[in-house]
Amino acid sequence: MRKIFFGSWLLSLLFCLPVLAQDVSISGRVTSSDDGSGLPGVNIQVTGTTKGTTTDVDGRYRLSVPANSRLAFSFIGFGTKEVSVNNQSTVNVVLTAGSQSLDEIVVTAQGIERDKRSLGYSTQEIDGSQLSQRSEPNLLNALQGKTAGVNITGASGAPGASTNINIRGITSFNGSNQPLIIVDGIIFNNDVNNTQNTLFGSQPSNRLADVNPENIESLNILKGPAAAVLYGSRASAGAIIITTKSGRNNNNKTEVTVTSSYNVQDVYGIPKFQNDFGQGSQNLFVNNSTNSWGPGFVGGPTSVTNIQGQVRPYQAYPNNVRDFYRQGSILQNTVNLAGGDVNRNFALSVGNTTQQGVSPNTKFVRTNVQVGGETRLNNGIKISGTVSYVQSVQDGVVGGNGGSAFGQLTRIPRSYDLTGEPFVDANLRSVYFNPTIINPYWSVNYTRQKGQVDRVFGNFIVSKDIKPWLNVLYRVTGDTYTDRRKFTEAIGSGRTPLGAITQDNYFTNELNGDLIITAKTNKLFLEGLTGNLILGNNINQRKFQNQTVVGASLNIPGYENVNNGTVFTNSGESSTLRRLVGYYAQASLGYNNYLFLELSGRADQSSTLPQNNNTYFYPSAAVSFVPTDAFKLDSKILSYLKVRGSVARVGRDADPYLLNSVYTQSSFGNNVASIQFPLALAAGNIPGFGISGRIGSQNLKPEFVTSAEVGLNVGLFDNRIGLDMAYFDTRSTQQIFDVAVAPTSGFDNRTTNVGELRNRGIEFTLTGTPIRVNGFKWDVALNFTRIRNNVVSIIEGVEQSTIVGGSFIGISPSIFVGQPYGVIVGGANPRVQSTDANGANYDPTGQFAGQYVINPITGGFAPTLAGKVLSNLQQNYTAGLSNTFSYKGLALTILADVRQGGQIFSFGGADVRSNGSLFVTGIDRDQPRILPGVIPVTNADGTRGYRPNNIQLSAQSYWGGLGGLGSEGAVFDATVYRLREVALNYSLPKTLLGKTPFGNISVGVSGRNLLFYAPGFIADPEVNTQGAGNIQGLDLNGQPNTRNIGANIRLTF
Amino acid sequence: MTINIKKIYLLTPLLLGMGACSKFLDINVTPNNPTAITPNVSLPAVEAAAAFANANELNRFASVVVQHLYGAGGGPAATDIYVTTGEDLNNQWQGELYNGVLIDAQKMIELGDANNGNAKAYSGIGKILKAYGFAVATDCWGDVPYSQALKGEANTQPGIDKQEDIYKGNQAQNIQSLFDLVREGLADLDAPSPVKPGTDDIIYGGDLNKWKLAGNSMLLKFANTISRKEPELARTVINEVLTRNVYIKSNADDMNFRFGTAINSQDPRYTYTILSLFRDDLAMSSRFQGVMQGLSDPRLPVFFTRPGGNFLGFDNGLRATLPSSTTWSRYNAYVIGAGGEGPVRMLTNFQRAFILAESALILGTPGVPQTLYAEGIRASMTLAGIPVAQIDAYVTANALTGTTQERLAQIMTQKYIAFVGNGLEVWNDVRRTNLPRLQLSQNAAGIDGTPQVRLQYTATERTRNPKFPNPGPQTNARVWWDID
Repeated sequence: MRKIFFGSWLLSLLFCLPVLAQDVSISGRVTSSDDGSGLPGVNIQVTGTTKGTTTDVDGRYRLSVPANSRLAFSFIGFGTKEVSVNNQSTVNVVLTAGSQSLDEIVVTAQGIERDKRSLGYSTQEIDGSQLSQRSEPNLLNALQGKTAGVNITGASGAPGASTNINIRGITSFNGSNQPLIIVDGIIFNNDVNNTQNTLFGSQPSNRLADVNPENIESLNILKGPAAAVLYGSRASAGAIIITTKSGRNNNNKTEVTVTSSYNVQDVYGIPKFQNDFGQGSQNLFVNNSTNSWGPGFVGGPTSVTNIQGQVRPYQAYPNNVRDFYRQGSILQNTVNLAGGDVNRNFALSVGNTTQQGVSPNTKFVRTNVQVGGETRLNNGIKISGTVSYVQSVQDGVVGGNGGSAFGQLTRIPRSYDLTGEPFVDANLRSVYFNPTIINPYWSVNYTRQKGQVDRVFGNFIVSKDIKPWLNVLYRVTGDTYTDRRKFTEAIGSGRTPLGAITQDNYFTNELNGDLIITAKTNKLFLEGLTGNLILGNNINQRKFQNQTVVGASLNIPGYENVNNGTVFTNSGESSTLRRLVGYYAQASLGYNNYLFLELSGRADQSSTLPQNNNTYFYPSAAVSFVPTDAFKLDSKILSYLKVRGSVARVGRDADPYLLNSVYTQSSFGNNVASIQFPLALAAGNIPGFGISGRIGSQNLKPEFVTSAEVGLNVGLFDNRIGLDMAYFDTRSTQQIFDVAVAPTSGFDNRTTNVGELRNRGIEFTLTGTPIRVNGFKWDVALNFTRIRNNVVSIIEGVEQSTIVGGSFIGISPSIFVGQPYGVIVGGANPRVQSTDANGANYDPTGQFAGQYVINPITGGFAPTLAGKVLSNLQQNYTAGLSNTFSYKGLALTILADVRQGGQIFSFGGADVRSNGSLFVTGIDRDQPRILPGVIPVTNADGTRGYRPNNIQLSAQSYWGGLGGLGSEGAVFDATVYRLREVALNYSLPKTLLGKTPFGNISVGVSGRNLLFYAPGFIADPEVNTQGAGNIQGLDLNGQPNTRNIGANIRLTF
Repeated sequence: MTINIKKIYLLTPLLLGMGACSKFLDINVTPNNPTAITPNVSLPAVEAAAAFANANELNRFASVVVQHLYGAGGGPAATDIYVTTGEDLNNQWQGELYNGVLIDAQKMIELGDANNGNAKAYSGIGKILKAYGFAVATDCWGDVPYSQALKGEANTQPGIDKQEDIYKGNQAQNIQSLFDLVREGLADLDAPSPVKPGTDDIIYGGDLNKWKLAGNSMLLKFANTISRKEPELARTVINEVLTRNVYIKSNADDMNFRFGTAINSQDPRYTYTILSLFRDDLAMSSRFQGVMQGLSDPRLPVFFTRPGGNFLGFDNGLRATLPSSTTWSRYNAYVIGAGGEGPVRMLTNFQRAFILAESALILGTPGVPQTLYAEGIRASMTLAGIPVAQIDAYVTANALTGTTQERLAQIMTQKYIAFVGNGLEVWNDVRRTNLPRLQLSQNAAGIDGTPQVRLQYTATERTRNPKFPNPGPQTNARVWWDID
């Protein structure tokens, strides 16, 4: 109860604040600096209050305000301007286009609208128009290359495949590192529900895929904990605030917008193959081999007999991999209907996206319906709400090593006519060159996952200005969906030879209630000092359920129903429930619009922590200072300068149910052979349970992310050049992590608070308008990010630990002290070293240090050393460069980006090289080769030394010797330069539209992923088979990326 | 003060949230897993884990090394040319042994001892199976964590015990010998136990007397394993068991684990060789075929199939284009069951007879070698369903003759034949006695071109446990009991 009294006490303090002065009536016109035309719909707000209006169709406005107040004029795409009323009755304002990044009203945590100049931390706004009509149905992908400090990687070009997003690096060893997503104030679930092992599964969506990019008004990225602290624990990885189109400020007009686009998709980034040598080994034809080390097409046999006993010409099929894929398409249609004025507005939106993927039998269909509105009652109560319904249907096919189409596409001999040969026999079994391998066509037709998400989310907000300076708001939001999946593995499939039908139902539900009390004043104790106090309370509940029914061992071919199964042992259920109660407060002070201080704090009480220790508090402070205003530095060159700094700490709770050790239904074995309790035995069904591999902890504490940030905003030449720069240093401590323990302890890992993770980074956005003459304009935006992530410590005696989620044939995505998060650890080829005289492979002379040690008998690498870092995905830097050229109604945007450095671990890359199908393996194939390295020798005097390797190997032994799937040989440089996006748009001149019902017509063409150059990899390194999540930088035989090209049209009337 | 009323109304959600906080937030008990179990659901898992550990990849590995099987592809092909690394077999080390049968047995022992030991029978079975699991671990990997293992959070990086100490015990270091662990288990079986196993005991159906036979026979097996290194100790243990006169004497007493015929319940040897994507990685070894045909042994068609009408095996290490896999000889129903039920023969009557024959011959323990040897053959052939007349003829034709070493070779060869499907036991014997003499595989590679005589510590353990040497002993380093 003490807390309530504390809250009431704060409230009563608010009532004691000074009362405002007398009102005056003012009017004026807002015009554009570009052409002097009136700007309709400009938002005008009396700073420090909720009072305001918008301009009419000619840019005029009228407003009654206190005589000493300041007005803020803001309009999307234009710089915000603040003006003091000073008893004037007419205030005309010219807004400057193209300086949007410097100073404008932005939506911050908890939906609080703030003048950007007052923020002591970094945010980045993306206008809806930058996401719309971009040949890309996935919102996150559409953001790629456009933001600083944000890393976005798609899983693949598969329709609906998930996309990973991390803001300012990975901050949690084990927890979600995806930012919190907020759509219209609704905490929006962006999970990926993985039915199958992520190493093997199809690629399910992250649920942000349920948002239609065409319906987005604006998107704001809160990058650091300081920005997001009011959202609490879950925003410690940052937050993305999405505002959909609402119809607000439409000047009482109703506007209908229709957007429509059609894109074609082609597979892009297939490796370059050799076409000189066919199926076989050691220069001999072998009809069931996955290798292309057979005889040459020139000089080899003219025909060969396949495993079915048929004679076939022995020749290259240069496009046998490429032709597996088809041309995909994306059709998008959206209708928005919106209208309203400052007191009332409504919006309806209906959209449909239908994507057919490049892999056969893949598609993604999304249908969105949204209804929303807002009204102010006569008694001053403001009520608003939105409800959205989304249906997303995703048809996918499985990937991964071994029994998947994509696991076999990298193993097709160059002489196999994949598209020409049959893939299925009369019994619906796979037909292929090797009976124990499944034909890729068979896989995509008979091992498929279909899913349907039905989702409803919405908000309901009631607020009232109890006093002109005091507002009370209550907001309820809900987000719930079911995801119903059917995974079919027909009889004869690679991983499940007897077949199985899996029916998976997911249900998630999140409810939030927020009470927010806001008090503002323009004059706090002294002239020019503004104050703003927010008190809030959040109640949160999250529910998750999953039921799985697996009907295995099928009998009737083609009957895709669980009832076709005879064994159901892998069926089960799982559910979680978690709750959190949070209290937050924020006090903001501003002095003469050039000095700002913001103090925030939040206390959370979480159900997932031990009850005696489940409450934790965390604060933040942010300062912003605008010297150009403070010292009246306004010059022709330096038009704006702001320096800012912030420190913040955010706590994060645990996942549910980590406190106890539990028992699980026993199972033994892996994909090769396994048993699963209950066992069906002659005596009946026998249950079996054993202790789970995870050791729980009753002493868990919240983990914390502490971040410091300094930044700079500079505007030059009347803000024609703008720079927004930030340096940050983030430390994550007492991480809740399942630390790997030695298997001989009887367990696999234990949950505890461990270690420290540090992220340091620099990011900047440079915007400019190099040319603006005679209606022609060239805008440039460059963003740059460099983040250094480092695992500082784990726990005493533990140097490395596997990241929960997957390890495969000897490689484990891991945390490793002194390394960035997520390095891939495995068996490394030993190298000569000259630092440890007692260690293996020591070379006192130092001349061979770093060279591989070669086995003197075989000429191959010496036996591997376990537990070494093989692959490091951390990029040196990423940068995106956007150029927009506009002339009259014509606009051309070209976005290129680069990811410099980092490595990818690729099964596909190792595959096509070691099996002799990659282009380089066909060059000088008859020539012997020598693996790089040195051979240990014993010198005449008994000391040990090394000599250069001189053991010649055949091309097959050499390329194979570089390493296969789980080896160091599967590591490639992931640097990639990309022409990400080109969009050409033409808006028909208004003069042409005069007599038509249309207010606006624009047509455009756009393309995505048009070109890429990856000097160190055989394909496009920007893939990640694990999808969104903490494991990145793996290409375990997933689907390739695509190139999209299309046309679009937008009509408003 | 009307405003205050409104204010309080708006605070209602806050009050609801806080007033009920303790209950509202007291929801962190998982509905998905039990936090406590009873021994009757533990025992099936312990038994299945023991059988699975024996029959899964360790059997694939060992059966190829001892040339029962030929490695045609994948991992078995590498095994066949003696290439085995520390990346291999972690699933066995971790999933099947330490995080499988061993920890499950440990937990079952604790459950049996709880509640004033009202389920001591479970503790007894648990100790026997725990000893079995540790024997598998140390026989394969040599020195392994034992006395410090399975302690969970109390010791997350257990130290390694010497194989010698594991088998013999070491009072100074507080290491209990495997023999004493089994003896303790036998004592538990004799103790009162109000809660007893029934149908949950897949191996013996709750017959505790049979567990006593198995426990004593396990003592014989352990003694046999160390008999060349520690003949005195072996002799003492064998005499102790013979004096007690409680051990497996009939095929009906065999410690067999019988799987089911539905998928997810099947013997891994069946799943691997018949169903899986990797089924063509294994075939019969033509060398084993040669041994059997040299003896005109009627068990060959019982052990291996003849899909093309003839036996088709391959020479170990052979690298060539093979005929269609549909014609290969594979494990027959004797080993894997007609529908995948197995059984896994963990301790058998024929094994006991051959052990006693060997020790009568070498250690001079009671019994006549020829009688015990013939008993072993008869037991095996009876299991294989060979008609009595044929058995008689075979026993007569293969009577023990010659020098001690020649007779030992006959005993070991018969044990080698009888244990098809349990590669681990054969691998132990082959390493221990070098009998039967196996020829090197073609294309022999690996560390130095010699057969594996131990497994390398797994990469996972070496990575997570600094008490392990890295890289550690290679596959050509003999274990303690393997003296030559």
